[in-house]
Amino acid sequence: MPQQNQVDVKEIEAILSEILSSRVPPVARCRLLSSGLSSGHTLDVTEELGGVKACLACGNCIDICPVLVREPHRRQKTQQRTSMALESLVPEDCDRCYACILVCPQVDTTIKYYIVNNYMIEVMSRLEGRIGSEGEPDLDLFLEEALSQV
Amino acid sequence: MDFTIPEELKMLQTLARDFVKEKLLPLERELLGQDGDPHRKLQLPRETEENLIKMVKGMGLWGLGLPEELGGVGLSTLGICLVEEELAKTIVPFNFGDVTPLLFDGNEKQREYYLFPVLGKRRQAHIALLEPGKGTDLANMQTRAEKVADGYLLNGIKISLSPINGDDFAIVFAFTNPDAGVRGGVTCFLVDRSTPGFTVVNNGRKDEGQTLPAKPVSLIFNDCLVPPENMLGEEGKAFHLGSKWLPQRRIIRGARCIGAATRLLEASTEYAKTWERFGRPITSWLSVQAALAEIAADVQASRLMVHYAAWKADRGELVSRETAMVKLLTTQMLARAADRAVHIHGGPIYADELPLERLCQNAVVNSALERAMELQRTIIISDLLKGIGR
Repeated sequence: MPQQNQVDVKEIEAILSEILSSRVPPVARCRLLSSGLSSGHTLDVTEELGGVKACLACGNCIDICPVLVREPHRRQKTQQRTSMALESLVPEDCDRCYACILVCPQVDTTIKYYIVNNYMIEVMSRLEGRIGSEGEPDLDLFLEEALSQV
Repeated sequence: MDFTIPEELKMLQTLARDFVKEKLLPLERELLGQDGDPHRKLQLPRETEENLIKMVKGMGLWGLGLPEELGGVGLSTLGICLVEEELAKTIVPFNFGDVTPLLFDGNEKQREYYLFPVLGKRRQAHIALLEPGKGTDLANMQTRAEKVADGYLLNGIKISLSPINGDDFAIVFAFTNPDAGVRGGVTCFLVDRSTPGFTVVNNGRKDEGQTLPAKPVSLIFNDCLVPPENMLGEEGKAFHLGSKWLPQRRIIRGARCIGAATRLLEASTEYAKTWERFGRPITSWLSVQAALAEIAADVQASRLMVHYAAWKADRGELVSRETAMVKLLTTQMLARAADRAVHIHGGPIYADELPLERLCQNAVVNSALERAMELQRTIIISDLLKGIGR
């Protein structure tokens, strides 16, 4: 959970770059690099949740992940809404869109700013490259074919 | 820049226009007056259809869209668009030998047993892609094809919108490897209706009459063993079938929208010229004039866009962006034209026996698929982001 004094990205830039270039959902590791939950903005039972940097199981990362949106059947494997569940549902097929990081309440805003400023252009070109490329079939054409059949 | 349609295509257009005017339009009244069900699907009586096919074959226009390498006419996309625009001006369900391009990728034997009989209207193909209750979520398809010693064991339920026609077969999309996802794990099979384990359930449809309720047919596969030679294309590559021809089909559907909108425009103009309110023809009303002018401008803009996309496709250029734009614009254009036509007519066109009601119904159905529209916007945006300034 972002605190007043958040992690300085310069100090973790090398490891962050390593994390962001892997094909595994990066949110959990970014959370662990963040400043964590503060007693200032939590309930008294925070400690019992299992550590200040624990995943809150808010499910934001699960909901925003484009891989799970495209292939909803993956979600049938578990009801869990944690970042660990995300990593097991999207093992090595991550689109590296970093949306999970941006929606995670436990990741520091500094990390989010850093990603938006330094990685988003790359992300957009990578994602738009997926659409309409010659190797990627347009499923809608097949739906149109089935619906217009007489 | 030359906007002239080549002379031979112009002749073809005139031929199709005359055919629609003389042979198809007179059938509309008869077809619409047959049944009381407003949601029925129109179907020509077999004898009438056979006569019409004979005529078209005589004109040498049967199988317009079939590529030359498969023994067809191999007409250009622009030529097909011109013909389809004319055919869409009527609600009579008739085409000049339209076959799904999914079958074009079959091997020689498959073409012999499936493609050519479909073209000759001797067999009926059901595209078994959609599943009950799944909508357009193809990734969640439940039909599975398990590899066994003698071939593939199919299990699942599909729905088809095509009518039943005795000697049917299904083009079935099934997961052979669910882990590879929808783009790499789905395989296509050709399954004859006589195959054990394949049942076609007629959901209360009438096949004897001239009309059909819109309810789809269920295709049930229960441990249906399909031999490996009935696989269409390669394993796991079902969604790569017909890739050479499918994008052009989107442009052709755009041309159909233009045909329907042109008919709406003609009918609305005719109505406005003859109908009087408060003692003067409604053409003198500014709102009616504006509605007519806007339909006309919309139709013209869409036609130019369709012709440009078709011209580009015929040059062998990549047209994914153009086809997306065509679909987006023409679908919305037809819905707008139907809406304006309704206003010119002074209210909803509820009279079941009018062709206009059917045209408006179809227009609304086309525009209802907002998800599909969203996809077209995504394709267009994708090109814009790449910085392709065309």
